[in-house]
Amino acid sequence: MTSAHSWTLPLAPRDVTPAVALFVFIPFCKIKCTYCDFNAYANLSRAMMPYADAVAREIEIAGARHASPLPAKTIYFGGGTPSLVPVAHVEKILRACHRAFVVAGNAEITLEANPGTIDADKLRALRALGVNRLCIGVQAFDDAVLRRLNRGHTVADALETYDLARRAGFDNVNLDFIYGLPLQTLDDWRATLERACALAPEHLSLYALKVEGGTGLEHQIKRGKYPAPDDDVAADMNDLAEEMLGAAGYAQYEISNWARRVGARHASPLQSRHNLTYWRTEPYLGFGAGAHSCFGGERYWNVLSPLEYIQRAERGESAVAGSEPISRELEMAETMILGLRLNEGIAFDAFAARYGEDAREKYAAQLREVNALGLVEMSEECVRLTPRGRLLSNEVFWRLLP
Amino acid sequence: MDQSRIRNLCIIAHIDHGKSTLTDRLLEFTGTVAKREMVEQVMDQMDLEREKGITIKAKAVRMLYRAHDGVEYELNLIDTPGHVDFTYEVSRALAACEGAILVVDATQGIEAQTLANLYLALEHNLTIIPVLNKIDLASARPDEVSDEMAKLLNAPNEQIIRASAKEGTGTEQILEAIVTQIPPPAANTALPLRALIFDSKYDAYKGVVAYVRVVDGELPRNQKLKLMSSGLEIDALEVGVFRPKMVAGESLSAGEVGYVATGLKSVRDIQVGDTITHAASAGAPAVEPLPGFRPAKPMVFAGFYPVETNDYPLLRDALDKLKLNDASLTYDPETSAALGFGFRCGFLGLLHLEIVQERLEREYDLNLIATAPSVEYHVLKTSGDLITVDNPAEMPDGAEIAEIEEPWMRIQVFTPKEYIGAVMDLVVARRGAFDKMEYLDEARVMLSYVMPLSELIVDFYDQLKSRTRGYASLDYTFADYRVSDLVRLNILVNEEAVDALSMIVHKDYAYARGAALCKKLKEVIPQQLFPVPIQAAIGGHIIARETIRAIRKDVLAKCYGGDITRKRKLLEKQKAGKKRMKRFGNVEIPQDAFMAVLKLGDEE
Repeated sequence: MTSAHSWTLPLAPRDVTPAVALFVFIPFCKIKCTYCDFNAYANLSRAMMPYADAVAREIEIAGARHASPLPAKTIYFGGGTPSLVPVAHVEKILRACHRAFVVAGNAEITLEANPGTIDADKLRALRALGVNRLCIGVQAFDDAVLRRLNRGHTVADALETYDLARRAGFDNVNLDFIYGLPLQTLDDWRATLERACALAPEHLSLYALKVEGGTGLEHQIKRGKYPAPDDDVAADMNDLAEEMLGAAGYAQYEISNWARRVGARHASPLQSRHNLTYWRTEPYLGFGAGAHSCFGGERYWNVLSPLEYIQRAERGESAVAGSEPISRELEMAETMILGLRLNEGIAFDAFAARYGEDAREKYAAQLREVNALGLVEMSEECVRLTPRGRLLSNEVFWRLLP
Repeated sequence: MDQSRIRNLCIIAHIDHGKSTLTDRLLEFTGTVAKREMVEQVMDQMDLEREKGITIKAKAVRMLYRAHDGVEYELNLIDTPGHVDFTYEVSRALAACEGAILVVDATQGIEAQTLANLYLALEHNLTIIPVLNKIDLASARPDEVSDEMAKLLNAPNEQIIRASAKEGTGTEQILEAIVTQIPPPAANTALPLRALIFDSKYDAYKGVVAYVRVVDGELPRNQKLKLMSSGLEIDALEVGVFRPKMVAGESLSAGEVGYVATGLKSVRDIQVGDTITHAASAGAPAVEPLPGFRPAKPMVFAGFYPVETNDYPLLRDALDKLKLNDASLTYDPETSAALGFGFRCGFLGLLHLEIVQERLEREYDLNLIATAPSVEYHVLKTSGDLITVDNPAEMPDGAEIAEIEEPWMRIQVFTPKEYIGAVMDLVVARRGAFDKMEYLDEARVMLSYVMPLSELIVDFYDQLKSRTRGYASLDYTFADYRVSDLVRLNILVNEEAVDALSMIVHKDYAYARGAALCKKLKEVIPQQLFPVPIQAAIGGHIIARETIRAIRKDVLAKCYGGDITRKRKLLEKQKAGKKRMKRFGNVEIPQDAFMAVLKLGDEE
């Protein structure tokens, strides 16, 4: 990331096993937000301790599968609400990671935190354990919006958590936001973005809302309590974000992600190294209920139910619930799709180095079509989404599927 | 069997009044089909018939019944199609009988098709056995409906048999009424052979099998026969009866109902209503055919196109196969600039169209686009040529047209009187003209109108049902061709005319229809990557316009925790969805769009 030319060679060659990324899923929440369809549960806190034990066990078993321990470059605690989990459990899991893998000295270790679920002591303790990046789920600087989403915290809570994190020594903080919400106006969104920029976090994730099936929000919209979100307004919000964040010193590096610029020419070192692993189709191992892994030409995933996950661990059984082999064709398509999510796009020489094929020829018809539609731009070196293409990326991606 | 012990009958009823269930009870009671063999509703054999709850094709079955007088009778029950599209087929089935069971639902009372079928039966001098069905239901109004029936038939109330086909009550009483009230066939075995064809089907082993009622003479097997309307000579490879499976025999005598296997390859050659007699070489042929024959004539037309152009040969083969068993289906190849190669298909009516479309999609696994249905116009050109046009896209330019005639229908609507206004409004909005109104009783009326068929096939029935809370029932027959002031409405999508979306409308309605269709198309055509104008035009003159705004957002914001499989599945679904649409230029038009004209409502 820090190398000047890294963006031209983002794809690791296939025959070298790069360091893996480790993901730990924490399925616990204080309350369920109305838009959320993740594998997350309120009222399951009694299971935290056995769950942490089960995850630690899964990590150790995964590590032991390799004759010499694999190097790990990032660890990411995602949820759910990882900040709800007592520090002792986080510590247990991190220790397991260190025992089972060679965790790099400069590893990025991220933990997701919800405002109002974490105090100064806990933040200091996590920082001391080596957690060096915090992802705060702010979602909106607007109490009315937060109430409608059943977030269970206020704007004041978010500001306090951010302040405490800084005091605890977190110098790499991401704030999560959602836009395109029902009833949310462009002005609401501008106000949220202004306050976000004023805090000057290192990283911002701005997610366009997708109303997922089976969520409370979908139900509310069906019942007519809220209007369905308007895609045109969401597009305007995205345009506004690009304009405001650009002016505030942030560079977009992925469809939903922005990192503060450090130096003028280079990719920011503040990009999420963990998430870059997914977008560059590099190997990662996921632990916990429903977690996904991609390793050795195969993708596999764990049982969804946290309780079943715990039981399996206690019985010494594998947590894996399913898998799919990733054929070469599919992997190439996924590499294109995921790589195009990044602003750096797909570098043709790196693609050719990995697969021995020229992406320009392999996807000639598709690229010509989406180029003509103004969704991608091509240079000698690479292809990438245009600003318009980022918001219409599915129109590019489905065409690339085998 | 002795002719005096034969009874030929059918059951007539409005749709859903319980005809099929009653048939099942009769088959069961007479032991024709053992109870354990009974798939519910034996006579409705096609899946589609079971689903739609209607009989599409007529069928026949022979039952033996030992009556209270100790004598065994042969009862030939001919099932009749239960939809107004098949009125002619019903009339031929009735012509093969001496009696009819008239079934009326005790919760619904007399409906449009009850009457239409009753009048048909009376025209054929059939003895009517009135049956009041579904008396077991809590909402039944047996006394009231019985009074209605008695009044209608001018018969005493006691003659109406109260039954519940579902529970089996009244079955024996009905069987007794059949043998005591319906006269045996007055048929003469000595006369030259005349047999009425009331149905036919294609059998892979026997070829086309004609379902017949022998009216005069004898029909032995292995004889040369002749079809009187076409003059075609056929061989009676096998003759027999239905029990309910085909059972071969030596011959069929005057008065009997059965089948003749012909070895022919297409049901088109054996037309319903035709008369079979001896070939000149095989005996004395009859001089006069039986009355009432009419060749099958499609009234409603639509273009069927495969979504995948490669499926064209499959579609052709599937139509060939369906046609083996469906004499009224017609199809001719046609090409559309928008849809490619397909077929213009002709149907007896909308239901017939739906059935064929569903069978093609279900039984032959074809992904089809059907254009909105049209009728056959008679067009007199200024050149003096008279042409028929069944595809709106082929309507000549206004300047070339001297006069257009379109088919008009006579329609009868039965409705509770509080909906008279609603029905009037609907019919008038559809260019209908009032004929007369008759009170059936204090609460219900029969409204008669004439209206263009083209208006009838565009969502009329659904509208009628919704405006009368489901109470109205409908019957219609062809009236005549009438001159109308019609124009072709062209639809342009992204500045290009889409021939498959054009329609013929009355000049006075063109603006409203054009605007409504543009609005509807805006709803059904998904947003594209660029703005898409939708215009309605008459000739070169644009009369309505809508614009589909360009899509701006189609993004999966979050790729959470590496669950790439799930995201990819969403993209795969999106890709599959695109494949089901027809690309026209750069615009993807979904199947629904071509039927949008059917769902315009009647706001205008």
